[in-house]
Amino acid sequence: MAFQVLLNFFIAFMWMFLQNTYTLGTFAVGFFFGLLMIFGMRRFFSSRFYFLNVLAVLTLLMIFIKELIKANLSVLQIILTPKMKMTPGIFAYQTELKKDWEITVLSNLITLTPGTLVVEVSADNQTLYIHAMDIGSAEEAKKDIRDSFEKAIKEVSR
Amino acid sequence: MKRTNLKTNDLILQTVVKVVFFIIFIYSVYIFFAGHYTPGGGFVGGLMTSSAIVLLLLAYDVKTVAAVIPFNFLKIAATGLLLALGTGMASFFYKVPFLTHAHGPVHLPFFGEVELASATAFDLGVYLVVVGVTMTIIQTIGETE
Repeated sequence: MAFQVLLNFFIAFMWMFLQNTYTLGTFAVGFFFGLLMIFGMRRFFSSRFYFLNVLAVLTLLMIFIKELIKANLSVLQIILTPKMKMTPGIFAYQTELKKDWEITVLSNLITLTPGTLVVEVSADNQTLYIHAMDIGSAEEAKKDIRDSFEKAIKEVSR
Repeated sequence: MKRTNLKTNDLILQTVVKVVFFIIFIYSVYIFFAGHYTPGGGFVGGLMTSSAIVLLLLAYDVKTVAAVIPFNFLKIAATGLLLALGTGMASFFYKVPFLTHAHGPVHLPFFGEVELASATAFDLGVYLVVVGVTMTIIQTIGETE
């Protein structure tokens, strides 16, 4: 992944030196040609074509923005509801993610979603304790997290 | 609340601090260099650098931070004072009063014409003194049980 990005930049710089014009436009053209070349040689590398990772990061960003808007609207709805009909509680969630940054991003995304809040990460980094506003929908929340966030984060670090 | 011997897992805090530390640090450097024409300068820059290191101290323990940043902060404060004094003394070589600051365009290789001022060196002295003193105070209070 990182090697492919570096190679792409190297090809772009090569292109600039060959053209003997050092502008952003020439760099962009060289970068585009490098991207095409790396796409053609994508089976040559150990990791997958890096542009897919870039797309995965953008997907994660879109999910983040969507969840932020949804969360704030649902909180608004809860505040304006006259009677509260929920039972708060804490449930454990087994995560399959391994790296520090993955767990951090997952925790922050869970905290932003409506009705859930990460309270604690267990000592072995494999269990997240999540406070739910309505414990009745805990199973549903687990399924949601597994399907949307964890999948998107796995897609980035594949 | 009952105290337990279980250490809490600071994973999220530590991961976020690893990123945020560099943002605060580069902003403090920007503030330091902005001090000549816009608000900022050595004092604020020094305080912000200290606050970045304090953030590290909050996320990790004192021993880890001492291993990562192996400086004696008292010596840093002394270096800053010497630098500020030296900038003042440099004016004697040009037969002008103490602490007279020179400034003007200087031709540097690769960068071209750059407006430099000797006040920046004085400000760097102030910066180092502020970082050294703040960190010394915090570490001394933190280490006493």
